[in-house]
Amino acid sequence: MVVGFALVAAWEIVTAAGVVAFRKPMYNALSLVANMLGLAVLFLMLNAQFLFAAQVIVYAGAVMVLFVFIIALINPESDVALPPRGNEWIYGAVFGVIFAALLVSLLFNRGLTGRSGTLTPEAIAAVGNVQTIGIALYTKFLFPVEVTSLLLLIAAVGAVYLAIRRIR
Amino acid sequence: MPVPAYSFLLLSGVLFTMGAVGFLIRRNPLVVFMCIELMLNAVNLAFVAISRYLNSLDGVVFAFLVITVAAAEVVVGIAIIVQVYRAGRPMDVDDLDLMKE
Repeated sequence: MVVGFALVAAWEIVTAAGVVAFRKPMYNALSLVANMLGLAVLFLMLNAQFLFAAQVIVYAGAVMVLFVFIIALINPESDVALPPRGNEWIYGAVFGVIFAALLVSLLFNRGLTGRSGTLTPEAIAAVGNVQTIGIALYTKFLFPVEVTSLLLLIAAVGAVYLAIRRIR
Repeated sequence: MPVPAYSFLLLSGVLFTMGAVGFLIRRNPLVVFMCIELMLNAVNLAFVAISRYLNSLDGVVFAFLVITVAAAEVVVGIAIIVQVYRAGRPMDVDDLDLMKE
């Protein structure tokens, strides 16, 4: 289990570096697909089978297909054609180091606290993973789910409106 | 569970930082969007890890809602990027000031 986690973690970090560093947007997109598939494996290790399926279908499937189509539609070389920017990326790197140090120090100083719930892996396995999440979604989290459905409707209408409208 | 929760949270923090750095240093709006997706994914990992180690499902449900919101956000964002491309503007986030006009 630990070896598996280390392998997937290394995979995640390498593909995330690819998303940030590749020059061609298509390579960035393919790195992101690999990253999301690795994340799905991590969800599986964390006993979240439903989220594993949702991650593969929604993210690695739908969202990334959209990205790849749009990159193929508009000029995929556009980032290369830009004039080089000089040394401004150093500011980004410095920010990254400081931010990561803050996150890590926070994590190790405060520790993990919280009241443990009742849904142990055994309790979830007794009912079924998807069933447990479905019960939670339609009882305890009914209002957020309804709000999210409204959000999806608004996003669909907005995308169609943006698609038919022409900017000068 | 031999893998401690800290390792998942640490990986989540590293991924989030890489996404934030990419967001700051990249200029292509599509790549900037991909870095936002990277950050959202890192947060999802933290949600699911906490949820697993506290024997609760709330984090999983939140991660599910985050996936939904991210999908909606990508749809609208890519529609805007295509509009900018159609308008013949340069694909550089530093040069985009359409909202000012």
